[in-house]
Amino acid sequence: MNQVQPNSEESPTREAKVSRSPAEWVTFGVASVILATVVGLVLYVWLGQQDQQPPTLSVSHDKATRQVDRQFYVPFTLVHQGGKTVESVRVIAELRINNVEETAEEEINFLASGETAEGAFIFSHPPQDGELSIRVASYKLP
Amino acid sequence: MPVRSHHNLWLREIKDLIRGISGGFLFGIPLLYTMEVWWVGSAAEPLRLLSAIALTFTIIVLLNQTSGFRGTADVRFSDACMDSTEEIALGILCSTCILVLLREITLDTSLKEALGKLIYESIPFALGVALANQLLGGQQDEAQSQSNPQPQRKNRLNSTLADLGAAFIGAIVVAFSIAPTDEVPMLATAVSGPWLLALIAASLLISYTIVFAADFSNQKKRHQQQGIFQDPFSETVIAYLISLFAAVFMLLLFDKLGFSDPWSTWLRYTLILGLPATVGGAAGRLAI
Repeated sequence: MNQVQPNSEESPTREAKVSRSPAEWVTFGVASVILATVVGLVLYVWLGQQDQQPPTLSVSHDKATRQVDRQFYVPFTLVHQGGKTVESVRVIAELRINNVEETAEEEINFLASGETAEGAFIFSHPPQDGELSIRVASYKLP
Repeated sequence: MPVRSHHNLWLREIKDLIRGISGGFLFGIPLLYTMEVWWVGSAAEPLRLLSAIALTFTIIVLLNQTSGFRGTADVRFSDACMDSTEEIALGILCSTCILVLLREITLDTSLKEALGKLIYESIPFALGVALANQLLGGQQDEAQSQSNPQPQRKNRLNSTLADLGAAFIGAIVVAFSIAPTDEVPMLATAVSGPWLLALIAASLLISYTIVFAADFSNQKKRHQQQGIFQDPFSETVIAYLISLFAAVFMLLLFDKLGFSDPWSTWLRYTLILGLPATVGGAAGRLAI
């Protein structure tokens, strides 16, 4: 975003650098450490085996169901234990009570390796009275 | 004497760094509010990240031949390379601070994702640092402002209005490009409580630094302004309030805020859009 027009004329007071002052050397030293750290971390991620592994996604629903009015909230946690980052992860929940089936769906935009995402499915029947299954349905690679 | 000149060298270095950081914020903040950059950065493979750093470095070495952030010009290639290292490091530092402030990098973020986000976002910051001298010049108006002594009382109101107007227009220009996007509501879900207070502090600090500490052109003139609110601190606060007003105005215009929304949503959206708007407002005040 160019909110400022560049000034085409160089400042007349800018003199040529003769030699670097101690202060400039200190700045350069600190800057080099920062840049080297970032590059080193990228190399670490690159060389680490985790990056080569395919995605592994698992979903759990250990937390207690919550009831508000006549709706039942079933919290879930999605964990990415594999390697590559994934996009558009779809989690599907199906609840069967007698012959009635309710489904709920959630899409997580983005999940990198080691990340977790939390959310909740909402049903109109009490999940404890039926058979509830929650699974990861799909993802795509960016 | 040597102690004094040593002291001056450090002062000059700090001034150079502040100018560089200010240039980085002027150029980089609007691009920080683009979620596609976060996503592409998160998913980028390490080789691509290293290429991004190498490409930025090359561009900045070239920019340093004409611009840079220091008061002195780089004549030797080795100096341009060393300054480029510093510019990229400043870019990385600034973008990391803002990404942490906006809760895009947290302790739960994986290392790869955090690296991707901060490297991609640091590119515009580093370019801004390298363009600092070019963005708004440096110190050149000294002679001009001396030959044009500030008019006294009768222009106080006019200069106040001109400054407030410039802050408003600058804030509108930046807020206009961010308000219609989904970034503001998205960030608002993550930023709350103490982080909002930190956002206010950061907005004020960045605004003050750009206008009064970075040694951009007009700075002397700004320190001597005779307007009603124009000692540096009150001008910074007033300009911030005007930028917040511009942010609200833009959010209403693009229907991101409605009168049925709760006040907490108004507050969050406004403070989040207020950060880039304040940077725009600061640029506007420097431009007049």
